[in-house]
Amino acid sequence: MNIASSLAIVALAALIHASFQLSVSVLTLLGGHVIGAKHSQAKVLRLTTSFVFGAGVMTLLLLSFVSLVLLHAFDGNAPQIVWAIGCGLLLGIGVAVWMFYYRRTKGTSLWIPRPIASYLHERTKATTRSAEAFSLGLTSVIGELIFIIAPITISALVLIQLPPLWQLAGIAIYSIISLLSLMIVWVLIGSGHKLSRIQEWRESNKNFMQFAAGSGLIILSFYVYVVEVLGSAVGGV
Amino acid sequence: MGLAIDIVKRNGQRPSENFSQEKLHASILAACLSVRTPVGQAESIAHAVSDSVISWLETKPEVTSQDVRRIAAKHLRTHHPDAAYIYEQHRLTI
Repeated sequence: MNIASSLAIVALAALIHASFQLSVSVLTLLGGHVIGAKHSQAKVLRLTTSFVFGAGVMTLLLLSFVSLVLLHAFDGNAPQIVWAIGCGLLLGIGVAVWMFYYRRTKGTSLWIPRPIASYLHERTKATTRSAEAFSLGLTSVIGELIFIIAPITISALVLIQLPPLWQLAGIAIYSIISLLSLMIVWVLIGSGHKLSRIQEWRESNKNFMQFAAGSGLIILSFYVYVVEVLGSAVGGV
Repeated sequence: MGLAIDIVKRNGQRPSENFSQEKLHASILAACLSVRTPVGQAESIAHAVSDSVISWLETKPEVTSQDVRRIAAKHLRTHHPDAAYIYEQHRLTI
């Protein structure tokens, strides 16, 4: 696989990551609490920026960690069985996202363990400092690990094949693109938009977001399977 | 002010507690402020909604916290639909 194709896969995986909604939900809730507690707009911006920064750092660390583990295990050339497992993970989580991502209730409640959701909810209410918002950003990425592990694993498998400088570029591309949805909400909150409008949009489009995320994972799994598993089996593409 | 009415908490997971008008007022005020309502208007809406909920509560010895939220949201919707939406969504966002 050439560098452009590899980075395109990383970018698509990051876009799929960006369509997952736990961090966006926590940011929306955090914005509501901070504005509702009569804090200044500067403090709203400071806390939401720290949150987005925390989510970005955890994404970067996770992708770097998985890449490092795979690099040590396979030395930049993962066997076909590992690619097949990665594709199976993408496909399985894609189908799971189609079926289960949002709970079948009002609102935007996600199919994540309720203790994690309650913990994030309580921590969001208690967050008043930038360091706490940063930690909340870190934790919210961990909270959706069950969904983001697939795009992160495939991106790591792709990245370890690249030269070191392109690996760094790939990690940066993934981290930035995966933050796009958070950045949009951050800009909307920072520019004074009503949270009710943001949450209404998220609620009314949640089925589309769910379909897009699931479809993205399934399409990526087929593409990677054809290029890396079938392509290698018939002599390399 | 604590009315002598027991509020049964969500799913009965936490012990019941007395109704607190301050708590209700603060939650409605926060919902109004979070949709960028001016402070004065938010305060008066929070007072009006709290009074309506207290009138509703007077005939009931025990209610659930979800009942209080539902009735408060119903009254808040007549004053400020956006704030009522955020108030209702509070537990349904994550």
